[in-house]
Amino acid sequence: MLFLLYTPLEMYSQDTIQRNILEYQVRLKKYQKKWDNLIPMHTVFQYAGGMGLMSVGAGWSYGKEKQWETDIMLGVIPKYVSDKWKITMTIKQNYIPWRISVKKNMEIEPFECGIYFNTVFSDEFWTKEPDRYPDGYYGFSTRIRSHVFVGQRLRLLIPEKYRRLAKRVTLFYEISSCDLYIASAFTNHLNLDDYLRLSFGLKFQIF
Amino acid sequence: MKTIRTILFSIFIFYGCDMFESHPYDAYVRGEKNINFTQIEEIEDKLEYSKTFRFAFISDTQRWYDETKDFVRHINQFSDIDFVIHGGDISDFGATHEFIMQRDILSELRMPYVALLGNHDCLGTGEDVYKEIWGSPNFCFQSGNVLFVCLNTNALEYDYSEPVPNFEFLEQILTNLPESVKRTIFVMHAPPFDKVFNNNVVKVFQLYLNSFPNLMFCINGHCHRLEINELFDDGIVYYQVPNIEKRTYFVFTITEDGYDYEINYF
Repeated sequence: MLFLLYTPLEMYSQDTIQRNILEYQVRLKKYQKKWDNLIPMHTVFQYAGGMGLMSVGAGWSYGKEKQWETDIMLGVIPKYVSDKWKITMTIKQNYIPWRISVKKNMEIEPFECGIYFNTVFSDEFWTKEPDRYPDGYYGFSTRIRSHVFVGQRLRLLIPEKYRRLAKRVTLFYEISSCDLYIASAFTNHLNLDDYLRLSFGLKFQIF
Repeated sequence: MKTIRTILFSIFIFYGCDMFESHPYDAYVRGEKNINFTQIEEIEDKLEYSKTFRFAFISDTQRWYDETKDFVRHINQFSDIDFVIHGGDISDFGATHEFIMQRDILSELRMPYVALLGNHDCLGTGEDVYKEIWGSPNFCFQSGNVLFVCLNTNALEYDYSEPVPNFEFLEQILTNLPESVKRTIFVMHAPPFDKVFNNNVVKVFQLYLNSFPNLMFCINGHCHRLEINELFDDGIVYYQVPNIEKRTYFVFTITEDGYDYEINYF
């Protein structure tokens, strides 16, 4: 039996084996490179904005001018007067069309816009109404929130001698609104601070 | 440097305001709290010995801020309205800021008011916020010799996790009933036979209601339409006020030997 298993190997020449090893290494490189693309290029910290009092996330910058960014974030909502504190998750898409260089090491991104979707990990909320309700009784999800935002950012290049884990740091603030607030603002005369929300944060560009 | 300073300065400016929000359902409540409690004190102080009094009844102000503001402005013209009852559905989505906005509009009322819990107010963290701002979903108060029992009837929202309607609460009132109570009015958000009500107990519910001293009538909201019905053929009328969007409200005048009602528009 063992003899039978070994025979096919012996039928390959030394050359074929070498070539196989080489090809394997090339494929391995390709494979690793593909997964390398998934290594987050930056980390984000954001205060408020309907995604938690404080959120931490990782993301990717891409596009010709790195004008697109996608972040995945986790946030914490304190307990306040509810039963318990909650964790939220956000997927955020940013678009940064312009970048103006003001100084060496300093750039302004005068306009940023995007959307984000937020979900809360808590059984007080539902994505689809529970079965006890008649079909479409409320017609919306208490768990999933959609937000739109505009903002501005300041990009600072960290001088090489001070670089630790990031090469650039971006300060930003955002003005956002969520689906529920937009629905209220459309049918009423509300104050700006009834449906617009502020947040600010930091982004560390690792590579 | 100037830009950084501007950014830091604007953060500082806006820090104190509620525009920094951790979540629409964060249940972060600033400002006036426990409103029903303080308002009931005011009502009971003012009307303790009154033989006649008048109150207005509105309901379902959810996401109709403009109409609610108009109502407050309208009703404030009448000094003969002793208090206002809000029949619930203060918010539409149960989001925290909806409650705050409604609270701030209703606090402009010149007369005291109480607000009930509606089924929409139970969504997400809504009930927690309601309890913080207004108080318990089951409460009662006395005006003249009339007992007002305000009940949470949104059974569907609780899915048997809590007894709704809470008969124990009714029992407690009955056993501790002051002698000065001669008549009773029941206030609820969803009426019996509605999908939100626990319809397994409708008849028991009505039986209980009738065990209160001289049950006069019941008032409710929820269905967004005006209806005046005797739901159980026992002489007890349920007055259903439409949502505030219809710009309609009831005024009840309680007299020594009965009551009168008006349907008013603004």
